[in-house]
Amino acid sequence: MVRLRFFAALRERMGAARTETLSPGTTVGALWRALVAERPELAHFQVRFAVNEEYVSASHRLRDDDEVAFFPPVSGG
Amino acid sequence: MLRVGRGRISVERLVRAVRDPKAGAVVVFLGTTRMRNEGRRVVRLEYEAFAGMAERELAALAVQARRRWRLSRVAMVHRTGVVPVGQVSVGVAVSSGHRAEAFAAGRWLIDRLKKTVPIWKREHFRGGRVWIGATPAGGARVAARRKAARRR
Repeated sequence: MVRLRFFAALRERMGAARTETLSPGTTVGALWRALVAERPELAHFQVRFAVNEEYVSASHRLRDDDEVAFFPPVSGG
Repeated sequence: MLRVGRGRISVERLVRAVRDPKAGAVVVFLGTTRMRNEGRRVVRLEYEAFAGMAERELAALAVQARRRWRLSRVAMVHRTGVVPVGQVSVGVAVSSGHRAEAFAAGRWLIDRLKKTVPIWKREHFRGGRVWIGATPAGGARVAARRKAARRR
């Protein structure tokens, strides 16, 4: 089971958090593609990924109990 | 002091956080909410943060800055929630033996913060609101909303 979190414009479409059961070895990118397949309007988003509060690339493999964050490009300042 | 959270940013506390008897220079950068942005009349900004990760990223930037320059102390604060026009949304303070390092590190820190720290800005303007940088189509969407607002 992994916990998914969404921020800013993505949070407004997806809700703040949810959990998913994944098959072992699923990558962050594959999980994102599955979300886009479910909600095609997400394809417009540029997205960055973080696992357990560290930036990762799309090829990062998820493990049980990971927390995955999806967010649009940051715009602080 | 490396903090992301609600409430006004105290410039005095920011400066106090980098005070050091070995330092000969303190440089402070404050980012403030601008009244106009891309032709829009801004009413207020609203910031959302992934707070835990944002503070970790600030700490990582402070470590990197210390590797690049000889610094005494580094402090960074970012406000979340609503920030009215004219108020401080972000503060960076750096102290060092001499001014060159403090200026260079301060500039580098605010530039990196804007690129890597997970914080998002939503601009509320006359006639609408928009997440800044959210989608490539964001600009077009703002234009459409402004047009709709003018028609009202």
